[in-house]
Amino acid sequence: MSSHEEESPSATAAEKRTTTLKHNIEKALAQEKQDIQAGRLKDENPLDKSHDFYLMCDAARRGDLRLAQEQITKGVNINARDEYDYTPLILASLCGHFELVQMLLEQGAKCERDTFQGERCLYNALNDRIRNLLLSYDYSKSTDPLQPLAGHITSLLTRDSPQTADITLHTSDASFQLHKFVLSARSPYFRNKLREKPETKSWKLAPKIPTGSFETCLRYLYFDEPEISPQESEEAEKAVLEGVGTLSRQLEVPQVFETILNPGDRRQARQRRQDDVEKGRDQMETWFRENVLQKQFEVDADKTNEVHWKRDNSSFADVLLLADINPEDEDADDDTTSSDHPTTTIPIGPSAPSHRRHRKTLFPAHRAMLLRSELFATMFTSPFREGQISSSPDTSDSTSPPLQIIPVDCSPAVLAVVLTFLYTENASFPLPIALDVLHAADMLFVEKLKQRAALLISTLGNGAAGSIVESPAQSAADQPHDWIYDVVRSGWDCRVHRLEEFGARYIAYRLESYVDDEEFKELVRESAARIKARQETDTVEIVDDIRYYLSERFRLRFEDSGLGEMMDEEEGSGSEKEEGEGEGEDDEGYAGSPGLAPDLEAHAGAEGVIRTLDGEVAGDEFAQDALNYQILLGKIDGLLDELTLDA
Amino acid sequence: MSSLAGRGRGKIRPPRRGLASADVDFETTWAVLERAFREIHTKNASALSFEELYRNAYKIVLKKKGDELYAKVAKFEEQWLGENVRLQITRLLTPPLMVLDASGRSLESTAEKRISGEVFLKALKEAWDDHQVCMGMLTDVLMYMDRVYCTDHRQPSIFAKSMGLFRDQILRTPVKTDLPTLLDILKRIILDQIQMDRDGEAINPHLIKANIYMLEGLYESEQEVEDEKLYLQSFEQDFLGTSAAFYREEGERLMKESDAGTYCRHAKRRIDEEHDRCRSTLSESTTPKIQRVVEDELIRHKMKGLIEMDSGVQYMVDNDKLQELSLVFDLEARVDPKKSELTRAMQKIITEMGTNINNAAIAASTAPPPAAALAEKEGEKSKPASSAAKINQQTVAALKWVEDVLALKDRFDGIWKKAFEEDQTLQVALNRSMADVINAFNRGSEYISLYIDENMKKGIRNKTQAEIDQTLEKAILLLRYLQDKDIFETYYKKHLCKRLLLNKSQSIDVEKQMISRMKIELGNSFTLKLEAMFKDMTLSEELTNGYRNYINSLGQADPKRVDLSINVLTSMTWPLEAFRGGQTSDQANESGKTQVVFPPQVERVKMGFERYYNEKHSGRCLTWLSNMGDADIKATFPNGGKDGKPRTHEVNCSTYAMLILLLFNDLPAGASISLEEIQARTNIPPNDLARNLQSLAVAPKTRFLVKEPMSRDVKPGDRFTFNDNFKSQFVKIKVGVVSAGNKVEGDRERKETEKKNNDSRGFAVEAAIVRIMKQRKELAHTSLLNETISQLSAQFKPDVAMIKKKVESLIEREYLERIDDAPVPSYRYLA
Repeated sequence: MSSHEEESPSATAAEKRTTTLKHNIEKALAQEKQDIQAGRLKDENPLDKSHDFYLMCDAARRGDLRLAQEQITKGVNINARDEYDYTPLILASLCGHFELVQMLLEQGAKCERDTFQGERCLYNALNDRIRNLLLSYDYSKSTDPLQPLAGHITSLLTRDSPQTADITLHTSDASFQLHKFVLSARSPYFRNKLREKPETKSWKLAPKIPTGSFETCLRYLYFDEPEISPQESEEAEKAVLEGVGTLSRQLEVPQVFETILNPGDRRQARQRRQDDVEKGRDQMETWFRENVLQKQFEVDADKTNEVHWKRDNSSFADVLLLADINPEDEDADDDTTSSDHPTTTIPIGPSAPSHRRHRKTLFPAHRAMLLRSELFATMFTSPFREGQISSSPDTSDSTSPPLQIIPVDCSPAVLAVVLTFLYTENASFPLPIALDVLHAADMLFVEKLKQRAALLISTLGNGAAGSIVESPAQSAADQPHDWIYDVVRSGWDCRVHRLEEFGARYIAYRLESYVDDEEFKELVRESAARIKARQETDTVEIVDDIRYYLSERFRLRFEDSGLGEMMDEEEGSGSEKEEGEGEGEDDEGYAGSPGLAPDLEAHAGAEGVIRTLDGEVAGDEFAQDALNYQILLGKIDGLLDELTLDA
Repeated sequence: MSSLAGRGRGKIRPPRRGLASADVDFETTWAVLERAFREIHTKNASALSFEELYRNAYKIVLKKKGDELYAKVAKFEEQWLGENVRLQITRLLTPPLMVLDASGRSLESTAEKRISGEVFLKALKEAWDDHQVCMGMLTDVLMYMDRVYCTDHRQPSIFAKSMGLFRDQILRTPVKTDLPTLLDILKRIILDQIQMDRDGEAINPHLIKANIYMLEGLYESEQEVEDEKLYLQSFEQDFLGTSAAFYREEGERLMKESDAGTYCRHAKRRIDEEHDRCRSTLSESTTPKIQRVVEDELIRHKMKGLIEMDSGVQYMVDNDKLQELSLVFDLEARVDPKKSELTRAMQKIITEMGTNINNAAIAASTAPPPAAALAEKEGEKSKPASSAAKINQQTVAALKWVEDVLALKDRFDGIWKKAFEEDQTLQVALNRSMADVINAFNRGSEYISLYIDENMKKGIRNKTQAEIDQTLEKAILLLRYLQDKDIFETYYKKHLCKRLLLNKSQSIDVEKQMISRMKIELGNSFTLKLEAMFKDMTLSEELTNGYRNYINSLGQADPKRVDLSINVLTSMTWPLEAFRGGQTSDQANESGKTQVVFPPQVERVKMGFERYYNEKHSGRCLTWLSNMGDADIKATFPNGGKDGKPRTHEVNCSTYAMLILLLFNDLPAGASISLEEIQARTNIPPNDLARNLQSLAVAPKTRFLVKEPMSRDVKPGDRFTFNDNFKSQFVKIKVGVVSAGNKVEGDRERKETEKKNNDSRGFAVEAAIVRIMKQRKELAHTSLLNETISQLSAQFKPDVAMIKKKVESLIEREYLERIDDAPVPSYRYLA
């Protein structure tokens, strides 16, 4: 009894704590709701009743990577909520789809601690693996997806190598080395001024306004957070503030002044900052489309030398990028083209034979933005020709040499994608050119774009895992898709492990149709060769991966039916057999199972038989799956034997 | 579903053939690259297109020919370095450098050597800079190869590889067969130049620094392990070695040639120089190492010699060379955080100086050796002058000792503060030495007490509070060092007792201050008895007043009545034997209880007070210490005034003198009494009697009696007559008795004090042992020893033999017993 007495006060204390906690949360939620209604705060998870979002949620429930990616590409708000207050992230973590959760997080789904939705998401996570993943993406630690872009542009202000500025603004006691394209993109005032006089190289600013005000505004134009650097005296600070007020009206960027006057709390500040950056990005994008993408032009291959762009062009470009127009791009959907040009024979570049007149596309571009690619950064800082920037903003000789033309070894479409990414952080592009983008990004060292391309391929390229298993008939009926080999090889070339995994998974789920393909053999051989060169392990990676996904493919079936143990047994015997290396022994292993006498040699036919049996004798389904599994494993072993590889 | 699969099939298009899998003609592509590389090396890169070169390299790597490309590039660099660069440098190996190499020593003038060395260094620096720039450009072009091929295949980056080539082709290849490598030559040149720098010649540090940068940028292997920098592996060791040799030689030379101060300054300068050199010429990373070498050679190995030099620490202390001492300290502190050498030297000096002081004190106190034995018999009239002188001499010696010790302490405190940066360890060591000095002097406790006594009696007269505080502080300071505080307590009690009873103290306030300081310093128990003495004094005053009031209240206004003031002393608290000293020891057989005979008028007062006291405190026994008292009497001398008129003087004298004088009241004029008669009638101890008679009959200013025969010494058979013709110009006359002055104890007296002290220590030890054992019940012998010592350390440092003896005696008395079967000797407490 005494122990009970002891417990009760502590229990009430705990209760009390919980209640206060609960009160606090409710209070905070109510406050938040008020704030949102009053427009002080933006709803981070707005209600979305559109059909696309419905599909998105559906995909999140089912773990359909592809469907989800398609919706994201369509532009669904990844952080919206449905009428039951579920966000896709909550749904995916609740249903335990690890890969989908990862994909959502990678693309900006938010899971912020100490918010209602965030805690809900964590609380609902199906297992610790997902919970840890969510925590590792904690918003406060992870960066805004646009941050790299904003950070880069801000850093241009202080970056002195290579020299990219093309205009100097002078105040009474300081001068700023700036970029016309940034000014023009961000401020309508500058845009008009510069449109009138694109050749301007330096500019005197109103002497009455303190330098500090200019600095604040200019930093804002360069995507930095608007804040006033501390001044010696209060009057100075006031003067700067007033200057900012004047300037923000003049430059038509009212947000600066508003933000400084009313910083708000942490969350509001962050939301506004996000809005600012987003808005800035949109401005950049608009400007980029008008002045870069639309200014691209074609010339004949042999006439590129005659292109003379002045430094003072209307796009303020300081470099021209050149992309080949490869004839096959123009009718990419035409299957015959690719058959005309077998993989190994088409040469590159100028030496490529073309049936049509060879033409090239030129893009005006800005070194300042190209620097985001490590290759360009190196190129422009190097002492080679490209590194010799012809004119600094101060030298106003009209005889400056024409803009340099730098060839980039890819198609115009791909180059456009790359440029779009560099200028706007926007990486959406059609699947067909994904591999090209991947290679271009690899060549130019744009790691993020590479990851995006890989993500795109591995999500959109995949039929959802579930759907395949549900309809083995159809997948088996399909012919092998050659493109998967390209994906795997590109994965190897560009060192994106994700693609290799994706390929292995894809093949594993359709192994029936690949296993006898010649090119598959070739792929396995290549994988083995890679390992030999690296001498890391003794296994053939792709085969290991395929085996793994194969087991996953079938295990799923067994576990669903609560017969995992049986599967384990089978698997155990199977692996023993594997070690035995003989197909004959496999035969014996299955002789023990009743009612199973498939013809192993004609396994495709046998599967057909089994499938027909499927419909009639439901009880045999699992055993038949197990058999299929063993057959496929056996096939792989046979393949390895044939290639005389150890695994 | 099939539509889905079909869509997937149509959608992902294979990558552009141009990128992925076109056949690249390796040889042609490489030819393009090689031509470009050659341009780069000849500084013609500005016309080259980075894009084109990169694209070519990129394609080769993409075609899985990275290994070939890598090998080709390495080969190209190797050739370039071997054929072009090396030639340019070896051409510069002019005779001055080579002659040096061949013979191993310089045949040419240093200037020539320096110039040709600088030319060489410059060429090498330029070659290195060029190589780095070019390789930087190559690395840019071969970026994709570095990222993809080198990472995947665990190859060092092409930059690292080419740095290795530079090392092998340029530095590690012998100039000609049988000649040293460029690295060796470089090393020698740099070492040579540093040597020139040390010898005071101007060199160009930037050139050397540039070459050092090169060595720092190169590694033993391509792995670029941080510890395997060429600089560390090939150069630094040699540099440290030659430096060590140089400084060893220089140190030895300086030790012989210059004095310690100069040496210290030089060493300091060298250390700073090396520090600067590392910054300006070599690598910062070497700073601690070369620092250590210089310290080793110039300080650590030489410190002992340096300190013991004629012009070493002893000399510096003697001549107050604070700056140089500070230098010595600085250097010593660099090599030894404990500063053991300096500490040892300083301790030695303190001990020496302290011993000198001690010896001087002993010498001063025992200057006339025979007098020492007589010192305590200062009352004897036979040698009053020498005796008084003796006392003074002793006291002066004591005061001098204390002053000297304090001066010593002050001096070394000064040195410690100004030269040793108030270093903690040195302070501890200096303090320990001071303590040793003070404790090595066996009269330390007595002298310190005497010093305080002297100050209390005379020293603090006319001093401000601050000065008094300072004096007290000094005394306490010495006390702190004192080990045998119990002995000090004994002496202090004795001296304090005399001061209080004889009213010699200048200020009771100051006395009390002193006590409270001691209380803070030594603890409550130490001052307990001293405070009790003060309490007795206060009580006695009240008692006297009380008695006086009581007498007055009786209403017997008897004009002839003797006024009495009295001090009642607690017998345990007061060291009264100090006053009985001569008496008890001389007449041990008389059982010490000789009661003097008071004349009736005094006796009546005495009885009255005893009655009064017993009424207040029953059961207490009063013992009269008549030897301590004094009396004011009025004496009329018939011919004392002018023109032979009688004159009355107020005489202050001891109680004994009063008794003697009172005898003459009843005598007819001119009658005489013999010594024996006086003795019989007063029962005054012969010593005191003789002493008092000496004052009354011999001392010229107070010759109230006339002695027959007229000699200085009082001998049995002498007769005394009242001196009718006594004259004095003063109304008040004080009869001095040669006893009050505090003085140093004589040998015998000291032995007694020691014996007494030992006894009381014995009790303290026993008490401590019993306390410990009672608490622990069982304890091993050694732990018992340790605990006893630590418990008693506040009072004195107990002798181990004494502890053992006391343990034995406790076992005998069955307080303790030995534990028989204990592994170590142990004792058990018997309740």
